[in-house]
Amino acid sequence: MMPTDFLLSAIVLTPGVVGLLLLATPREAARLQRWVSLLASLLTLVLAAVAWSRFDPANASFQLVEARTWLPSVGIGYRLGMDGISLVLVLLTALLQPIVFISSWRSIHDKVKGYVVAMLLLETGVLGAFLATDLFLFYVFWELMLVPMYFIIGVWGGERRIYAAVKFVLFTLAGSLLMLVAIIYLSFVFHAQTGTWSFAYEDMLRAAVPMGQGFWHSPQMLLFAAFALAFAIKVPVFPLHTWLPDAHTEAPTGGSIILAGVLLKLGTYGLLRFNRPLFPEAWHRATPLFLTLAVIGIVYGALVAWAQKDMKKLVAYSSVTHMGFIVLGLFAGTVTSTQGALLQMVNHGLSTGALFLLVGVVYDRRHTRMIEDFGGLAAVMPLYTGAFLIATLSSIGLPGLNGFVGEFLILTGAFPRHPAFVAVAATGVVLGAVYMLSLVRRVFWNPLAIEANRSLPDLTWREALAFAPLAFFMVWIGVHPGTFLSLSETAVRRLIGG
Amino acid sequence: MNPTDLAAVAPELLLVVMGAVLVLADAFVPALRPRFGAVAGASAVAAAILRWTGPLPGAVWSGALVVDPLARFVDSYILAAVVLVAVIAGPYLARTAASYGEFYGLLLFSAVGAMVLAKADSLLVVFIGLELLSISLYVLNAFHRDSGVSLEAGWKYLVVGAFASALLLFGIALLYGATGTFSLAATARVVAERPLAGNPLVLAGLALALAGFGFKLALVPFHAWAPDVYQGSPTPVTAFLSVVPKGAMLVTLARVVAALAPQALTPKWLPLLATIAVASQVLGNLVAIAQRDVKRMLAYSGIAHMGYALVGVVAFGFDGLVGVLVYLAAYTVMNIAAFAVVSAFSESEDEPHLITDLAGQGWRRPFLSFTLALAMFSLAGIPPTVGFVAKFLVFRAAVNQGLAWLAVVGVLASFVSVFFYVRVVYYLYMKPLPQRAPAYLEPWPVRVAAGACALAIVGLGIFPSWLLNAAETAAKTLLR
Repeated sequence: MMPTDFLLSAIVLTPGVVGLLLLATPREAARLQRWVSLLASLLTLVLAAVAWSRFDPANASFQLVEARTWLPSVGIGYRLGMDGISLVLVLLTALLQPIVFISSWRSIHDKVKGYVVAMLLLETGVLGAFLATDLFLFYVFWELMLVPMYFIIGVWGGERRIYAAVKFVLFTLAGSLLMLVAIIYLSFVFHAQTGTWSFAYEDMLRAAVPMGQGFWHSPQMLLFAAFALAFAIKVPVFPLHTWLPDAHTEAPTGGSIILAGVLLKLGTYGLLRFNRPLFPEAWHRATPLFLTLAVIGIVYGALVAWAQKDMKKLVAYSSVTHMGFIVLGLFAGTVTSTQGALLQMVNHGLSTGALFLLVGVVYDRRHTRMIEDFGGLAAVMPLYTGAFLIATLSSIGLPGLNGFVGEFLILTGAFPRHPAFVAVAATGVVLGAVYMLSLVRRVFWNPLAIEANRSLPDLTWREALAFAPLAFFMVWIGVHPGTFLSLSETAVRRLIGG
Repeated sequence: MNPTDLAAVAPELLLVVMGAVLVLADAFVPALRPRFGAVAGASAVAAAILRWTGPLPGAVWSGALVVDPLARFVDSYILAAVVLVAVIAGPYLARTAASYGEFYGLLLFSAVGAMVLAKADSLLVVFIGLELLSISLYVLNAFHRDSGVSLEAGWKYLVVGAFASALLLFGIALLYGATGTFSLAATARVVAERPLAGNPLVLAGLALALAGFGFKLALVPFHAWAPDVYQGSPTPVTAFLSVVPKGAMLVTLARVVAALAPQALTPKWLPLLATIAVASQVLGNLVAIAQRDVKRMLAYSGIAHMGYALVGVVAFGFDGLVGVLVYLAAYTVMNIAAFAVVSAFSESEDEPHLITDLAGQGWRRPFLSFTLALAMFSLAGIPPTVGFVAKFLVFRAAVNQGLAWLAVVGVLASFVSVFFYVRVVYYLYMKPLPQRAPAYLEPWPVRVAAGACALAIVGLGIFPSWLLNAAETAAKTLLR
């Protein structure tokens, strides 16, 4: 077995290192590149499972810790650690990545090398950001995701891919650059209080940032705002969401799955991991604002999704709604609601990932995503219809599937403190059922009017293979959420002090 | 003159001799012309080895020069730049039928000028070093003597450079008049004895010297020459011009600040310098967006980058100086990487190097395009590149000196810059090749130089501790 002190590094670096090695392979070796990248992502998944087996849920602090000096004079270290919160998100990432490679096996046929390398580097960035326990290191991984995603959207995307890619980069950077200054300032505060330079997360937790007066004269409010802006853009919190429909719609299927499944989670993860414990008073003061924005996002996202004619855009806007629920759960601040939010991050990754995957399936066959171009597909693609139904029901929160548990925990956890917000948010659940079921009706049940749809082949074994693990986890979480909730409970209690 | 003095300047002596040899060899054995680049590069490597194995006695030549770890640090990247430029100049000069020994001779002379400048402990030596550096460069700028733009570049750099030299000289004269000495240390002692408030001569001298420095660094408002000169000069010269004079000049400025501590002398110093830094960042980045020529874009980007580096001087102190030094080293590799690729991605020197001409090259010429993309991301300050580390360090210095607003302005300016750096990547990878695909060459020396720079950009970005330690050792000597 692998020594524990390299396990997290192995998880983080495996995809990236393999990706860099693949750069040296010839352009024509697409088959080799596909297989190697799939195997690398499967190896990462195995390593993540090993980490799961070594993980002790009773222990709230970081486990499998690695700490190496990097820039000692500045207080920067290569520090990795895993608690229950990062574990579930690492598992989600590691699970989705092989699915992405399987799903793009045929649909990406141009410049395969660039695609798999970008995907593998992206996975390293995501995993590193979830596991970094040094703020500088976190920032490096956070930004590392930017460049591969820019390429994935800009090279393999749809018609308006350039616009979407540039918008994605500029939005993301607009938030994260200010966060860089905030990170530096946080370290400066810690130095002023203790006399040592450090960027370690555990050290920063002990830095008491002064609250001051008002907003512009309150270091804590300003730092909170800088961090929150970066994360709120990523989530995205209404009204910073405008990059999302463009990026999701224009990205290739694999890019959309990763973007919705994992990248958005980094925003909510950051809010929970950094904003909440580092700036507790500012968090408290900003709670009404964020609850309001979350609820607006829930209702607004649902209404806009309802009006969409493009299936992929509809799913993209449904993300705005779902992420609104997660933000609501985080800022409601009880253990139950936070646990629900964390579980909902995973759920959204599974259900939205599955929906993007399935929309990609018909797009590959018909090269259109317009709802009006379909109808009556249930008659010609029974297997596909079943898969789409499972994903839909998971997304709208049918009891017995995963989405229900997450939404239920968020709403019940938030209700005692913020009944009014919960009441509005609950309408979002109803609206979610409305737009998703009406999508299903229009695509699958209406009469089979269009000739081109009569001969559509059903799911291939490869597409079914990509979908199967998602369905498996949707059911597992729906039936026995305790498996995953128990992993993160102590860590959540430690973070929010509940 | 004693043996210590001679040993301390052995690298400079070697380069001067080799420069002269190259110029003479061109006249007497022109058959050796294809080897000149290798000779120049080898001389620079030998000079670097001499510098790293030789003594660092501190002040030599009766206090005219200081040979200390700081000087060694600066020499290292000047000489690295010489080697890289000599490598990429070979195929470039062959292509433009201009492989003359004078090119490499002048390259070595200007490197010596920069090395002297960065070691100067006397204002007069500052001037001598600067002139040696500049006059060699005037000729190099106009090296394509049949090309209008090249002549224009040389002419512009000459006129503006002469003006800057005059300002600097006048400033030095005023300082000499006020203190009776050229030595920085002695000037500092005199200034310390007599408070500056009653000493307008010193203030005026400092202001004029700063203006002279500003011209050479292409800081706003002394920047107007940069775009034309960058565009018109032969591309390898532009690469050299964009890093070496700036690197040496900024270190000289740091030496002056460390000795005279003008930030302590006059309350106006900090706001003035901060204004210059911010104006350079904002103007450089905003105007760069509008550029269609890669070399002009890199000229404006260079203006902005000196603005960032100047933040380290504004936030003067150990952290600030370390930041400046790391910044200069980072700027050297990323800028030379960019110009190396640009020198290859060009069909004719008389035509502009349009960004649109890069369309689709990413998939046609993957290696050089990858390097150019990497240089762009590094210039934009995106990790894990050395450009990010450098920006992080200067912004950290600003925050630690209580100048967090300067860091905020800096990151906002970098945000603007992302737009035009990323546009280059966009043309490389996301635009299709034009109907008539340009016939760019990829000579192996350019590939080697680009590869070395790419390796440095990523290697120093992921493992910056070696560079940081060297910069810290260098900074300690200045702030003892």
